[in-house]
Amino acid sequence: MMTTETSTPAQDVVMSVQHLNVLAAGKKILDDVSIDFRPRSLTAVIGPSGCGKTTFIRCLNRMVEITPGLKVDGTVLYLGQDIYAPGVNPVLVRRRVGMVFQRPTVFPMSVFENVAFGLRLVHTEEGEIDQQVTEALTRAGLWEEVKGDLDRSALSLSGGQQQRLCIARALAVRPRIILLDEPTSALDPMATQRVEATMQRLKEDFILILVTHNVGQAARVSDRVAFLHSGRLIEVGDTAAILERPRDPLTEQFITGRFT
Amino acid sequence: MVLANASEARRSPEDILYQESLRTKWRLGFDRVIGWLLPLLFIVAILPIADLVYYVGSRALPTLTFQVLTSTSLTQTDALGVPIVSTAEIMVFATLLAVAFGIFGGVATAEYLSERMAGWVRMTANLLVGLPSVTLGYFGYFTFVLYFGWGLSYIAAVVTLAFFMTPYIFRTADLAFTSVPRPIREAAFGSGATGPQYIVRVATPIAFPQVLNGIFLAMAIGVGETAPIVLTTTLSTILPTSIYSPVSFLTALIWENFAQPKGSPLIDLAFQAAFLLIITVIALNIVVRLISYNFQKRIQGLYQ
Repeated sequence: MMTTETSTPAQDVVMSVQHLNVLAAGKKILDDVSIDFRPRSLTAVIGPSGCGKTTFIRCLNRMVEITPGLKVDGTVLYLGQDIYAPGVNPVLVRRRVGMVFQRPTVFPMSVFENVAFGLRLVHTEEGEIDQQVTEALTRAGLWEEVKGDLDRSALSLSGGQQQRLCIARALAVRPRIILLDEPTSALDPMATQRVEATMQRLKEDFILILVTHNVGQAARVSDRVAFLHSGRLIEVGDTAAILERPRDPLTEQFITGRFT
Repeated sequence: MVLANASEARRSPEDILYQESLRTKWRLGFDRVIGWLLPLLFIVAILPIADLVYYVGSRALPTLTFQVLTSTSLTQTDALGVPIVSTAEIMVFATLLAVAFGIFGGVATAEYLSERMAGWVRMTANLLVGLPSVTLGYFGYFTFVLYFGWGLSYIAAVVTLAFFMTPYIFRTADLAFTSVPRPIREAAFGSGATGPQYIVRVATPIAFPQVLNGIFLAMAIGVGETAPIVLTTTLSTILPTSIYSPVSFLTALIWENFAQPKGSPLIDLAFQAAFLLIITVIALNIVVRLISYNFQKRIQGLYQ
């Protein structure tokens, strides 16, 4: 594996993926992936369809276990603790590593209740819920649009608003890391722009890991790019460096759109 | 170019009315025939029901008074008060039992059982639905009345009817919970929900109207059942005093009273009971329709 990263002190690493393999029916979906994530970063995971991008980020909060038949092997350390160690409850992992999906996945309840969802799961006090919902909606850039009527059905929001609501829902429980699985693939250009602006603001306080098949989006919002191909991590490094001077021919082919 | 006549126009492939082949022509014609046939078939289907309601209504209504519906006369020759109250009671308890088992089984099958096990459980439920109710009636007779020694009683009737209704509720609950959109399910788990939290907070609000639908449907089917009742209890003219008492039920009353000689006032009573049941079943079905309609409106946008 090739990397263009210079080594930094290990102590500020929040999540460290070491030799991660995923097998499905004997076929390797991820092949020996190792990568670290540090605070205040937005890492874009790019690569062609079927390269294992989505499977990769789903390994980072054990969502991969929802899909039957996948076998995960390797180590994923969250603040030094292996999230796959026996006795670790995936529910507790997911409360620290939030997730936003390809399509908006609002629940059929009010805007407020959607954001408060994760908080109610851990029995937060009402006053605190109010405050955190407001904060999460503000951070997600949706507050101005919904503050007039938080009790309206979340299903009445537009697709872009719904996606920012999903981001707010992930933020409300104050995770360290937020996984975004092609969050703009179902949105129009205007809505995409707003979600991208939201992501850029959020990377000041959270670790964002963004799966995208859109090189332009990676260039616009990320400060680090990881390129996956056939389940292998081909290279990882500073966005500008990788997109301008890729070291691996596969990466170059992908970002110049000459991929076969 | 000015065309000489309309038939010439149809021969040109440029024309909208041009038909490529005889086969196309035939298909379009067939489509039209089906379009006419379907409303006709609907009328054919609705006619017997309309006739039934009319006939039973015409026999029942002239003698049906408020007095008949409410009087708890001990002789049971002129009043339906006792069977109405008993039927309602039996339905309430049987529904409660069936709802408890049906929903528990449906949720467990949808969320917890492996595909293989779930397949077996679903097959069993389908088998139970397909079973003639008289078979279930005999099951109730041999199991509850004889083996458990409950005798021909109120409780034997309730439990047997609950057995009859459970698979209907089970099937809708199972379907409702399995058809919660996969992304919604993943979002709930991705937000850190445990299995039970997902079921209670996310899946239930989505599945609830459909489950309610199943409950009303099961009630509509259960209230019209005769075999599970007549085989597990004996008809009574008074309200039950204990769970081992004999008990009355509208369908069972119809079954008994029609066996009376022609001209007996008991036959009028049977018609009144039948009319009441028809109205109840129609009302329950209308409730089902309303629930489905509101449900579709409420979750519009969820399945985009």
